[in-house]
Amino acid sequence: MDATTAPHRIPPEMPQYGEANHIFEMMQNMLEQLLIHQPTDPIPFMIDHLQLDNDYVPKILVLGPPASGKTTVAMWLCKHLRSNLLSVENLIARQFSSLAAGARQHYQKFKTLPSGLLVRLVQARLREEDCVTRGWILDGIPETREQALLLQTLGIAPRHVIVLSAPDTVLIERNLGKRVDPLTGEVYHTTFDWPPQPEIQNRLLVPAGISEGETARKLLEFHRNIVRIAPSYPKILRVIPADQPCVDVFCQALTYVQTIHRSNAPFTPRVLLLGPMGSGKSLQAALLAQKYGLVNVCCGQLLKEAVADKSKYGKVILSFFEKEIAVPDSIIMKVLGRRLDQQDCVERGWVLHGFPRDLDQAHMLNSLGYKPNRVFFLNVPFDSILERLTLRRTDPVTGERYHLMYKPPPTVEIQARLLQNPKDTEEQVKLKMDLFCRTSAELEQFYQPVLPLNGDQDPYTVFEHLESGIINPLPNKVP
Amino acid sequence: VASALTDRASPAMATYTYTSRPRALPCQRRRYRDNLMQPAEEPVRYGNIMYDRRVIRGNTYALQAEPPPGQPDPAEIQRRQQAKRRALAKRRAQEQLRPRTPEPVEGRKHVDVQTELYLEEIADRIIEVDMECQTDAFLDRPPTPLFIPAKTGKDVATQILEGELFDFDLEVKPMLEVLVGKTIEQSLLEVMEEEELASLQASQYAFEELRNVELAEVQRLEEQERRHREEKERRKQQQWQVVHKHHETAEKIAARAFAQRYLADLLPSVFDSLRDGGYFYDPVERDIEIGFLPWLMNEVDKTMEYSIVGRTVLDMLIREVVEKRLSLYEPKEDRQSPPKPEDGLGGPGGVRDSLVDYAFQDHGASPAQRPLPDRDSPPRAPHDGRSVEGVSSQEGRPMEEEDEQTRKFLGREELFQ
Repeated sequence: MDATTAPHRIPPEMPQYGEANHIFEMMQNMLEQLLIHQPTDPIPFMIDHLQLDNDYVPKILVLGPPASGKTTVAMWLCKHLRSNLLSVENLIARQFSSLAAGARQHYQKFKTLPSGLLVRLVQARLREEDCVTRGWILDGIPETREQALLLQTLGIAPRHVIVLSAPDTVLIERNLGKRVDPLTGEVYHTTFDWPPQPEIQNRLLVPAGISEGETARKLLEFHRNIVRIAPSYPKILRVIPADQPCVDVFCQALTYVQTIHRSNAPFTPRVLLLGPMGSGKSLQAALLAQKYGLVNVCCGQLLKEAVADKSKYGKVILSFFEKEIAVPDSIIMKVLGRRLDQQDCVERGWVLHGFPRDLDQAHMLNSLGYKPNRVFFLNVPFDSILERLTLRRTDPVTGERYHLMYKPPPTVEIQARLLQNPKDTEEQVKLKMDLFCRTSAELEQFYQPVLPLNGDQDPYTVFEHLESGIINPLPNKVP
Repeated sequence: VASALTDRASPAMATYTYTSRPRALPCQRRRYRDNLMQPAEEPVRYGNIMYDRRVIRGNTYALQAEPPPGQPDPAEIQRRQQAKRRALAKRRAQEQLRPRTPEPVEGRKHVDVQTELYLEEIADRIIEVDMECQTDAFLDRPPTPLFIPAKTGKDVATQILEGELFDFDLEVKPMLEVLVGKTIEQSLLEVMEEEELASLQASQYAFEELRNVELAEVQRLEEQERRHREEKERRKQQQWQVVHKHHETAEKIAARAFAQRYLADLLPSVFDSLRDGGYFYDPVERDIEIGFLPWLMNEVDKTMEYSIVGRTVLDMLIREVVEKRLSLYEPKEDRQSPPKPEDGLGGPGGVRDSLVDYAFQDHGASPAQRPLPDRDSPPRAPHDGRSVEGVSSQEGRPMEEEDEQTRKFLGREELFQ
């Protein structure tokens, strides 16, 4: 049989590699750049692009009405992300540029810049080395729809657009307290953001155009314009209310900027649920399996299945079960490995819970090549767990399982004959919880980008959080 | 002895006797330094009385004289004794080295024999003879005569005649037989040996041949084995390469299939993202937005202006007419002579005033009425300015502008009509 026609099994390392290195997004970016620039020599261009490796540098637009704190937020983001800030003022103030000199003259005369000139200034600035390698943050540009369209036509597309919004009255009030530091260009406020150092305080100036009338006029213009700019950036726009302390605004902005938008990359979720006994892992795993078609792999269940199948592993495991000691790691790994290697797990992805219980098991799992791409930690306080577990009861006659608080038995006679699983007594639960607490810190360290979940809520809320964690790409944290 | 005598004299007549069983005496000589072990643990050394220096062996009558006390210590004596012994030993060694005749064989004895020319009788008593001689003073010493010792003893001779002792022929036979026989036997043996040697040689040769053949066979087999082995190795290598290539090809194909599947959605998503980013836009839509709509709005603006101006003019006309009628009516009550309404100069002049009035009011109302785009507001501002100017100084103002305005309005009104 010819090698090309034989059925092929794609080794699972390939999709894992693709996911881990974001190959799809990389190819997408490269192709976009190719289409935008259309170089005569595509291959050297692609090589240069790949070597630049600037797919994830910040490309942010910060828009908002006057006195919403755009400049403040933009400057703080700049410092935090170590990027470059572009605004009308510093574009005009650039030396060594004939465009900038011409723009200065125009600005002095008319106090505004024509759109074409502004866009050309922005383009020239964005072509410079530092913007290419470290990203850029545009503060208050584009001002009108025309400028937005011109920017888009040139291929300058931001990845995140933040629009600050606040009620007009608040803004008019706030603008009266605006003060500017002439040296650094930072914007301070008499009430909300007063600088602690006295030398800065002494040199603060009152900027022009902060009277109520002026502010009202500017607000009017802003509202006219923003309605037509916002639809140009449909999927990447986020409105942040600016009516809160600037630190909060900044935090929200930073979190948003660090999220990566979903792409069309094919993604097989391999989810690991960690959490103490009674945190709801099996339930969540079952829900996930039902909704997304993942394979629910519960370690304890697997072992019991192996025993029931009377396979050779099953016999060995049965001996351990009878003696009531923990099954050794190597046997568990073999059984687990066989299950995870099967075609349906590889194809559809899996949800694993109840397995690694300590660091050695985690290392073994890793070394065999089963690396989860989403790890969730269900945090449930001890009292909740106690409540959930110690009130579990089973009816010996019908086999129904009840919970004295969440699913009480319907009749008194059923309640009379309910029995409790000896594993659900308080001491056992405490024991298991201690065991888990001891090992949880190391496990969290090992699976470093762990997504914590509050498991103390009702199952569907927790499920929604889980879903959003799986579906959205992991945010890249700037150190 | 004294004690024995006294013992004999004792009443019990008890003679002191001491007997003991014969026992080997231990040697009291300490060989090593004082050791801490118990003497009982050490093996007891027994001394041999024969080699005990304290026991005097041999003649005791002639006691060994002690060396005179003036002499130095026994060490010196020992040294001298040792020296003597050494000299003796050396002499003996030298005697041994001297060549001697070998020892006599069993049953024989060496006897000294004289071998000079003239035998000498050896007797107990040695004959001595005194002789004197005197040499002459001037005679030469004659040559020494040969020394021929006197003959002593009696000469005796014997003679064996033929046939007396033995018969040669008879006696010789056995000897001859033996000799010849032995010789022949010897030669037979030699010949047999030679033959044997030859046959051995032959068999060796044959064996050699066989061995060579076998060796050749073995070499051939080895060669064959080696060739087989190499062939096998080569084939294994080839097979391994084939399998390897197969694996690689399979991997490459898997990689290609995977890449195709993985990036199947690439182009659509690229185009989607570029479209969302605004890079791909519908040129017709864009053209409409940038080129057509502003112009359209402008035109709509103008049209609406016309209609509003027309209405304003109509309003003013109606007002004018009504005022005139009013003014006519009032004087009619007074004078009953209604002056003719002047459509000529007065008309435009009167119309001008009220036109200016109404124009100002209208212009004041228009920004609220018409939702015009921004572009029209700057051109409107100088407009406002002009009409405001007109209102602020109704007399002696640049009438030309107003005249132009009025003419334009009237012109448009005509167009409109």
